[in-house]
Order: sequence, then C-alpha cells, then structure tokens
Amino acid sequence: MPETALSSATPDAAASAVLEVRDLSAAYGGPDVLSAVTLGVRTGETVAVLGANTAGKTTLLRAISGLIPKARGHIAFEGLALLGRPAHTIPGLGIGHVPEGRHVFPRMTTLDNLMMGAFFHRGAKDIAERLERVFTLFPRLQERQAQLAGSMSGGEQQMVSIGRALMGKPKLLLLDEPSHGLAPIVVDELHGAIGAINRQGVSVLLVEQNAMLALSVAHRGYVLEAGHVVLSGSSQSLSADPGVRRAYLGV
Amino acid sequence: MRTLFTPSRAALLIFFVAAALLPFFVDPRGHLLRVAAMVLLFAAMAQSWNIVGGLANQISLGHAGFFGLGAYTSTLLFLKLGISPWIGMFAGAVVAGGAAVLLSIPTFRLKGHYFALATLAFAEVLRVIANSWADFTGGPVGLSIPFMGSQPAYFAFRAVSSYYWVILGLLAAVCLAFHLLASGALGYRLRAVRENENAAEVAGVNTFRVKLIASVISAALTAICGTVFAQFTFFFDPDSIFSLAGLSVRMAMIAIVGGLGTLGGPILGALFLIPLEETANAFLSSKAAGLSQFVFGVILIAAILIQPRGLMAWWPKPRRRRAEASRPAVAAPAAKGA
Repeated sequence: MPETALSSATPDAAASAVLEVRDLSAAYGGPDVLSAVTLGVRTGETVAVLGANTAGKTTLLRAISGLIPKARGHIAFEGLALLGRPAHTIPGLGIGHVPEGRHVFPRMTTLDNLMMGAFFHRGAKDIAERLERVFTLFPRLQERQAQLAGSMSGGEQQMVSIGRALMGKPKLLLLDEPSHGLAPIVVDELHGAIGAINRQGVSVLLVEQNAMLALSVAHRGYVLEAGHVVLSGSSQSLSADPGVRRAYLGV
Repeated sequence: MRTLFTPSRAALLIFFVAAALLPFFVDPRGHLLRVAAMVLLFAAMAQSWNIVGGLANQISLGHAGFFGLGAYTSTLLFLKLGISPWIGMFAGAVVAGGAAVLLSIPTFRLKGHYFALATLAFAEVLRVIANSWADFTGGPVGLSIPFMGSQPAYFAFRAVSSYYWVILGLLAAVCLAFHLLASGALGYRLRAVRENENAAEVAGVNTFRVKLIASVISAALTAICGTVFAQFTFFFDPDSIFSLAGLSVRMAMIAIVGGLGTLGGPILGALFLIPLEETANAFLSSKAAGLSQFVFGVILIAAILIQPRGLMAWWPKPRRRRAEASRPAVAAPAAKGA
C-alpha cells in the first residue's frame, strides 16, 4: 500500500489540502472540548473522524462552519483562513455542512428544503442540474418532493439534509453522524451515497460513531479522544489497529 | 399555468370590494363607520406585527412603541414645523425603523418570553419618556391635532368616509407587503429561521440580517398606522398611544386569534375581535364595572382553546402549489424520473 501507515497528523502538501486544521482548540465556556487538534483533508479524499460521544467530533465540524465563536487556532479551506468568518458565509465558500440530528425544516416540503441549500447563490443557472444530481443520488427524494420534510422517515430526512448541503455545490462536505439512529439497510444506502458523492469529486470529512461504516468509506481516519487526536492513519491501518478494534469496532 | 384565483384570493378580493363600498350603505357620520374604520386599522396593525410575530416567530409585545413613534413624529412635525402628516408619516416610519435596528441588536439573541419581555420594556420606556419630557412631547396632557376642515394635502378631511378609505388603502398596502415578503426570497429565509435556526445558518442564511430586515419593515409599517390613527382620532396621549394592553397586546392577539403567519389571519382576527369588544362594551359596561372586559376575556380564552391555530385554520386549504405549478426547475427532473 502506498499509503503510509500512521502517517503524520499534519497534511504534508498544503497545495493539495482542501482543509487544513492546525492547533484548533475550542470551548463552550468551560474546559476545552478540543485541544490543539491538527488534521487535514486532501482534495478528493474522504476522511473519517472517529471517537466516542463527547470526544469533540461535532465541535470540530461546528468550528469549521464558524458556529463556535470562541475557537482558537488555525483552519484553512483551500488556503483561506476560516476562523472569524460569520457562519452564513461559509457555505458560499464551498463547504456543505450536514448537521447532527437531521436538521431539516420540518414544515417545508422536501423540494423547498433542497432549494434552501442553493439559496445563497440564487440566480445560478444550474439549479435544475444540481437538483437532478441530488435526485439521481436519492431517487426517493424525487418521489417525495412535495411531502413535508418533517413527516418523512429518519433516513429520508437524512437524505434531505445531505441533499440540501449538495445543492450548494460544495467542494468539501462535512457529515456529522449521518448513520445515527438509522436502520442498517438505510445505513447501507447512505454509505453508498457517500462513496458516490466522493467519486463526483467532493472531498468529505465524515464524523462517525459507527467506525465500521466510517472506515469502509474513508481513505484515512483520525481518532479523537477527549478533544485530542490520539491516532491517525489509513483506513486499513486503523481497522487493523488493536486499540481501535477493541474500542470502536467491537472485535 | 399558474392559477391567479384561488378561493382564498377571491375571498380577499371580495372582502376589499365590499369594504370599499361600505360607506355608501351606512350612515356616513355614524358610529358604525368609525367602528369599521377601527377594524381595518387594527387589521393593518396586526398585519404589520405579523411580519415579525408570524413570519419570524418573534412574539413582540412592544409594537405600541413603533406605533407611538409614528404618531408623535408626524404630529410634532406638523405642530412645530407645519410639515404635512403625509410626509411626517414616512418620517415616522424612518424613526421607527431606526428604533427597530437599535432594539434588535441586543434583543435578537433572546427567544420566546425573554424577547417578548424585552420588547415590552421598550414600549414602556417610550411611554415614560413621552410622559416626562413635557416640553417636547406635551407630556401627559397629550397632543391634539387642530381641526382644519377639509385639507386633503394635510391629511385632514371632513367626512369619516375619507379617513375610512385611506385606512382601507393602508390595509391593502400592508397586506400586499406581507404577501410579497412571505412569498419572496426573504419570506423563504424567514421560514427557514423559524423552523430551524441552526440549519438555516449552515445553509448560508444570515439569520441576524433576515430577522433585522423583517423587524424594520414591520416597525415602519406599524409607525405609518400610528400616524393614520393620530389623524383619524385628532388626539392622543402617552398612555393611550404606547398602551401595552390597548395596542401591543391587541396587535399580537388579533394576529394570533386570526391565524399566526397567515395573510388572512389579521383581517379575520380584527373582524372578530374589534366588533366583539365594541358590542361587549355597549351592552355590558352599564351593568357592572369591568363586566364587559370579563366577558371579552372569557370569549378570547374560549377562542384560543377551541382553535389554537387561529380562525384561519378553518379556512379551506388550497392545494399545495409551491411544489407543483410554481417552479419550472422541477419540471425537468420530474419528467425524467417517470
């Protein structure tokens, strides 16, 4: 395998890095939830972040999206410093965020939910094309486009949430626990979709408790424990790591 | 093809035509026309409130503040500088819009009850200032607009029906503003904010700005209603124009009883509540002190218990247009999938 097992946590070639996080610390007013986290996503990669609840995974994604005002350190997206930018400007740069817990707009239709995702570049000519791409990925959303998002199943809501982020034509997609609380068959479907999204050229940063799922779609991974990166490497090396196997794969 | 005439729109059209013709059928100097004018004015006020309360779901109990700012600005400009209230009306709208910006900066972080209480305090502060700054505002005595006969250029008419039609025009304008806001890009964003503020933010909606724009428009329209009220009644004082129960709560109540966030709600609510209150006052106030308010209150509580979503909830629902007819972008992929 060309991938160096347990490669250094710093992404080496900055030119090919779509996301670069260096020494990121964040707190919600109490002790640090993230302390000096350094990780990176290269262009075209899917990177998984594993860890238990409260390890700081969601905080990491929220900090990238500008939702944590007190985050310290350095985050760069395609060389552009992100910290300090207001949250609503982040999607326009090319970062799609699928928040934890399926945040759909419950009393809007599926279609309106998707359209919300393309709102910040209104007037773009290719809206119909983007919609078509989302519908190709999730045909069920096309069937249900007139249904209120709040009345759909958990898996369908997750598709709406991912679809909404894709409508913004992101270069980097942040996925926060997409499989959480979903039936295994739906998880498989989502898993396939994440792979397909990545093959279309979108880099993915995937946060998961379901390590099995995460490592099967990701190229590389990081393990977060109590706000620190404790381990990183290729998916193969991580799934072979005895510590990871015991803690996260349950084998 | 987009249908222009849904049952709801037809009903709205019938309402406006019937309202416009009303002065020809009732005593032009009678009490009934004055009550009808107040119904329309309160509908316009509740509709202005509905932009913030209904679309953004920020329940304000301070809209009397904007209303009073409108009344004071236009009346003071007229009394001190001789400026026509038609111009003062827009000056009042600007003042209220500015006040809305100042009020929004500290209060938009607040939600629910906390927001309501902060806005309530805002109107109360204005009431106290208007009462104590007597040199400028006339203090507790209030301000009177001199009777000038018919001077249309100065918003002064002899006939009640003229005021009535101005108020009807105002209601139509406020309803149009509400409709454009609700169905346009801003309305879309406001709905997103109301449904899920976090998701709206990661979808690229500047939630603060969206709420700010809505609250400025709402405040400006409310101020215009205040000017019209002052011209119509010829007199107001701080306690009546900044009244919590008489104005702030009533605006919210009319919109809520009629149907929060709906176009027809404030109209239905005003048609129901204002005549009800008038009737209760006319028949019961001589029987026992406070009886009319008591009965009015009981009916209000009953209305909210019976239909918490407001009178509009009983309105026949139009079929969902948004998903089907209105957006050409959908037609292409939808056709392909079949």
